[in-house]
Amino acid sequence: MSELRDIARAILADGRARVVIGWEDARRGARPVFATDPDDADKLIFDARCVHNLVTYLNPRRDNVAELGKIALVVKGCDAKAVAGLLREAQLGRDDVVLIGVRCGGVLEASDLGQPLALTPENVAPRCHECDVREPNLVDYLVGDPQPDPPRPAMTIDERIAALESRPLEERWAFWTEQFSKCVRCYACRQVCPLCICERCVAEKTRPQWIEPSSHARGNMSWNITRALHLAGRCVGCGECERFCPVGIPLSLMNRKLQQIVAERYGYVVSDDPEKPAPIGDYRLDDRQEFIK
Amino acid sequence: MSIPPIFLTESTLRALAADLLGAGTQVIAPVAVEVRTSPSASASAACRHPGAAPVEIEYRVLGDAAGLDLGRRLPVLSLKQFFLPAHEALCRWRQRGTTVQVEAVPTEFAPQVVLAAKPCDSAALAVVDKVMNWDYADELWNGRRAATTIINLACPVIDESCFCTAVGASPDCTKGADALLTPVAGGYLLEATTEKGWAFLAAHAERLKSDAGKGGEEPLGHQAADERAAARARAAANLEIDAASVRAWIDSHFEDPLLAALAVRCNGCGACTSVCPTCHCFDIVDEEEGVGRGTRRRCWDTCQAPTFTLHASGHNPRDDQNSRYRQRINHKFAIYPLKFGEVLCTGCGRCTRVCHAGQDLVEILAAIDVVARRPSTTTPGAPDTEAAS
Repeated sequence: MSELRDIARAILADGRARVVIGWEDARRGARPVFATDPDDADKLIFDARCVHNLVTYLNPRRDNVAELGKIALVVKGCDAKAVAGLLREAQLGRDDVVLIGVRCGGVLEASDLGQPLALTPENVAPRCHECDVREPNLVDYLVGDPQPDPPRPAMTIDERIAALESRPLEERWAFWTEQFSKCVRCYACRQVCPLCICERCVAEKTRPQWIEPSSHARGNMSWNITRALHLAGRCVGCGECERFCPVGIPLSLMNRKLQQIVAERYGYVVSDDPEKPAPIGDYRLDDRQEFIK
Repeated sequence: MSIPPIFLTESTLRALAADLLGAGTQVIAPVAVEVRTSPSASASAACRHPGAAPVEIEYRVLGDAAGLDLGRRLPVLSLKQFFLPAHEALCRWRQRGTTVQVEAVPTEFAPQVVLAAKPCDSAALAVVDKVMNWDYADELWNGRRAATTIINLACPVIDESCFCTAVGASPDCTKGADALLTPVAGGYLLEATTEKGWAFLAAHAERLKSDAGKGGEEPLGHQAADERAAARARAAANLEIDAASVRAWIDSHFEDPLLAALAVRCNGCGACTSVCPTCHCFDIVDEEEGVGRGTRRRCWDTCQAPTFTLHASGHNPRDDQNSRYRQRINHKFAIYPLKFGEVLCTGCGRCTRVCHAGQDLVEILAAIDVVARRPSTTTPGAPDTEAAS
């Protein structure tokens, strides 16, 4: 912790960045903090409650954050993949941001707890099981000790997908119909996503109206499926959409399934190397294209 | 007219719900809903988060009196969904050549009863009544309000995010409701507070008589009063503000950097406005359902989205999240009270609980209260701060 605070303090003191965005301990648990004064550095913490993907604050839609000046961001390994996504899609220059990486041994599913808790199969964020970057790359500073792997969740996301896929079509349809029926179209999933970067979302277009704004079955189905498809090969699996969803739609199942399809069809696994092209921006002669008739 | 509180056991309360259902009356009540369920039990089991709580509380149309959840927990979504649904048809149209036929929607509704409503949720309806009858009387809202009898269940106060007593409501208020249930030993005391409530009691007098004499009225009355006072004290311990000072400060500090500082971590996700019992802004959209026909609907909208204020010219007067967050605070605690005499908040705390970025309205109001030069007081027994003065 002191290593993190020392670096943040020095960065703010000598002007390498105007604001350090990390996590603090608040009344209801860990939450994002914006440290602009070297003295604020003492607020910074990192523990298993620091679940938020702070890269959402680098999103080009965040004018009010950009106004604070150059940002130094505290990132876990998974978060760094979202930075790589923004770099890959030319939404950010590498010199625009200072990255302070924290070694991470997995996080909890929820941040709103008073005390750091030991990770258990019941409380660990399921995404941590698939993690391949406990030690973030792409960063300017790296703090913390090497961490052990987190416990295996009682059921991994892949296992849940497999269990769902083993059901007949009618059951899967019934499952997703039920899930999407809860959607109130607040668009929290989109707003918090570090990679939903469109200045004007397709859901807001009215001429023509591609997606019905009402939260009825048609509108909800087209919104949730369209958003998932727009993130295919781009989603880093941080799970913020699911965590922010006020009605608890298991969006990770869809996003992870699309990651699986992209990996299988294009050999692409979400990477924290911004030089590695994602399928959406890359064409290869041997790309499978049997769907073009 | 006044009827003394009636004692009834839980089984009588459930029998009352069954009477209503038997008579074909729609009953809305808190129900424990299995999280991430599916019509298919096997798919559901496969997809449940291992760490997630198995059930959540939601207001639902009651199918069976046994489903009524009397645990006094807070439903995820507020009661507003039954008065201002997340989407509803305003009219349907059909175009033939140059003529357009418009089909209206009904604005009269069958009687319905809400059982065990949260006092912060019923109070919110009374607050929103004002804007719904301001420059236009909203027939759909008013129609549902008129058709509905609401029976509150006194709230024990949920957690540290509750602050109803700071904003003119309380865990046992009947604002916006017609009757109140208060838990006592062996059952509940039921008292009506409006004509609609008295009429309800009269209509169900036969059922409600069944526990007469079982409770020994007087000590139960004290018990209920103690229970209610303790809950009020719990809410007041979370937050006390001087609403008038807060209103004056917000109204005169539009550009104050404090408001921007409070907003910066906000993701603008709008989840707070969806779960808020008083946020009532909607968008009106035309949805085509084939060539020459469609439905005009209104849908919940949120001031936290950039498109909420996007002008046709391309200009957006609230073009960053700081200004949008300020608007939410401003509307609730200055604009609405200045126009309608009440804050647009009943302290349910849902916005705070739902915010995964850590925006905390209790903390924010306390911070504004401090700069409004009225340090928050924690005098025990101090009267509730009241915005509606």
